[in-house]
Amino acid sequence: MKSWLITPLLLASLALTTACNQQSAENPDSSTKTIKIGAAVSDTGKYAREGKDTRQGYELWEDWINSQGGIEVGDRNYQVEIVYYDDESSPDTTAKLVEKLITEDQVDFLLAPYSSGLTKSASAIAEKYDKVMVSGGASGDSLFTRGFQNLFSVYTPASYFTQSILKALSEKGAKTVVIAYEDTLFPTNVAEGTQKWAKDYGMEVLAVETYPRDTADLSAITSKFKSLNPDIFVGGGHFNDALLFVRSAKEQDFNPKAMVLTVGASNPKFVQEMGEDSEYIFGPTQWESSMQHQGNYFGTAEEYAEKYQAKWGEPPTYQAAGASAAALALQMAIDEADSLETEAVREAMKELNEVTFFGKINFDETGKNIDKPMGTIQIVDGKIRVVAPEEIALIKLNYPMPGWKQRNESVSSSSN
Amino acid sequence: MKKFSRIWLRKWGAFPLWGLLILLLSAYPSTGASGIELFTATQIFLWVTLASNWNLIGGMTGYLDFGHGVFFGIGAYTMGILVTNTSLAFAPNLSFWQALPWTGLIAVIFALLIGWATLRLKGPYFSIAMLSTFAATRELIRILRPVTGGGSGLDLPPVLNRVGDYYFMLVLMAIVVSLIGWIRRSKLGLSLVAIREDEIGAEMRGINTTFHKLFAFAVAAFFTGICGAFWAWQNTYIDPDVVFLQNRNILMIMMCMLGGLGTVWGPVIGALILYLLQDSLWSNLADYHLLSLGILLILIILFIPYGILGTLKNNKISLLDLLSRRGFDTPHR
Repeated sequence: MKSWLITPLLLASLALTTACNQQSAENPDSSTKTIKIGAAVSDTGKYAREGKDTRQGYELWEDWINSQGGIEVGDRNYQVEIVYYDDESSPDTTAKLVEKLITEDQVDFLLAPYSSGLTKSASAIAEKYDKVMVSGGASGDSLFTRGFQNLFSVYTPASYFTQSILKALSEKGAKTVVIAYEDTLFPTNVAEGTQKWAKDYGMEVLAVETYPRDTADLSAITSKFKSLNPDIFVGGGHFNDALLFVRSAKEQDFNPKAMVLTVGASNPKFVQEMGEDSEYIFGPTQWESSMQHQGNYFGTAEEYAEKYQAKWGEPPTYQAAGASAAALALQMAIDEADSLETEAVREAMKELNEVTFFGKINFDETGKNIDKPMGTIQIVDGKIRVVAPEEIALIKLNYPMPGWKQRNESVSSSSN
Repeated sequence: MKKFSRIWLRKWGAFPLWGLLILLLSAYPSTGASGIELFTATQIFLWVTLASNWNLIGGMTGYLDFGHGVFFGIGAYTMGILVTNTSLAFAPNLSFWQALPWTGLIAVIFALLIGWATLRLKGPYFSIAMLSTFAATRELIRILRPVTGGGSGLDLPPVLNRVGDYYFMLVLMAIVVSLIGWIRRSKLGLSLVAIREDEIGAEMRGINTTFHKLFAFAVAAFFTGICGAFWAWQNTYIDPDVVFLQNRNILMIMMCMLGGLGTVWGPVIGALILYLLQDSLWSNLADYHLLSLGILLILIILFIPYGILGTLKNNKISLLDLLSRRGFDTPHR
């Protein structure tokens, strides 16, 4: 036998043995199985910031559940693997990635992207392939009027944003409301809800105004509102609009007794930017680490925040907490269903009724989380403090807020 | 006879090949292609169709339309308003096929109105006028809240059918590219090219330039409107920001420029290459995605201003010429 024949023979036998080894490794009995969960979230584009928080929230849960030994289904423990892609904040890319997650990566469940708009594109695909999709970053009410069976969101719906504060203020004697909101999906839902709650709590809506996206000047609206002299001013928009509202209110000496601003006020950057002018402003919030929620899994809201801080080196935003809560809801439903079948998990989702660090999670037939009250914060001495609803409030709310001129006097008198 | 067949081949030879390609592609879904593969192919067909439409007005007629996405938006919103079941002022609740002809038709009416005004402008003035039309229409859609849903957008019926989508776009692409191939070789197409090269000269020779320009504009608008309608249906949700995307205008132009302005097959090749490039390579560049898009645009204009096909067709230009950016004034067609 020629010697050069030996090498290929050796190689062939080596290949054969590896093949056999691989076969035995794939034997289901001797391996731990994983549950694959797909998530297309924004790393880039206009939701890059919130997308990053969302992803960190998902990852915190992923690490935590795997360190706990995974999820038990039947008599086997499953590790969890989340497959991430960057949706570029674009509906085209989101659609493509969700399709890819389902048909190519063959994930068992889906976690939704950040924002109501992207979730609209994504949830239609989840529905088509009959996959459960849980959202921790979308609150648009119209997400839940499309008749979808598989979409669930842990957020309090947008139309409930101002409920707790309007209730509290009506008890303090507020009688009139004016509303200004950006003409996009989420603020529109907030404004519609605000009108409803104002009526429910016996208040009169004096005026409703809209303004376009990316506006740079809101003084026309505040000057109109000034002449109406309302008790409550509700501004629905995004971070920048909150800054504009406060600036133009001060400039024009528009003095409502309470200012409620939807997105900006609960963000610590708001206080940094506005300084003393941010005092007394109210802001609805999905979640704050100081809220008195406690659940079986991450413990209290405070304990969750500690875990988050330890992993990511920054305090969690409510977007991050919402993402972890969404994943947690999915985990509890899988636990409850004791199955990985879509139908069983979907039914378990609908039955879910648990208190978690994020608040109560209880989905109605359409997938909305109906039992979690929307919190409201007020900025007091430069700190973000929960003031409503009463059950989770830390301090009593300050009402009415002093006028801009009185404030300057009190500041100058105190400095004297 | 032999000469005739050679001429025929040179003029129409690509069409049997195109037909064969479409035929092959029509078998693709039955090979067990997955949802994502069908979806990706559908998006490529969509971009080929959009780029080809832009090429008709931008490449052949020489009117650089920086706001062509406006017809995409008009089509998308016409579809959205006609098929969505809402409590808005006007919601006839039609089916996809009932609504489809209207989407193209309304885009054409819009094109005739806009074109009548803007096509009198030349060069950059036309480009800027179209860009403004694009932005103005987006704001108009926002204001017409009782019909369009304003900034909160419209929810279309969430009926998704990837195989159906695939065939719809395949057929639309086949029609549009063939039509443009035919126009390019017809007297009509020659008139359009004449307008591009010398509008006054063309007019002197008896070409009705206004009619020809409006015709090209309307055809491009019709099919772009249909594309928009399809996109709205596929995405199941529209609002002014996702429909009137500035990026879409730019991509259409880049695809044509990459493939070769004014050529029939240029936009096809350009769209295919750019989409796949964007898909694979750029998704890894994350934050530098738009930056790389810009750099590519600059590189195309600097080194291959006539696109891939325009450069290949010109035997006189060597690689060295391209790199040293010589030979720009050589006639390329």
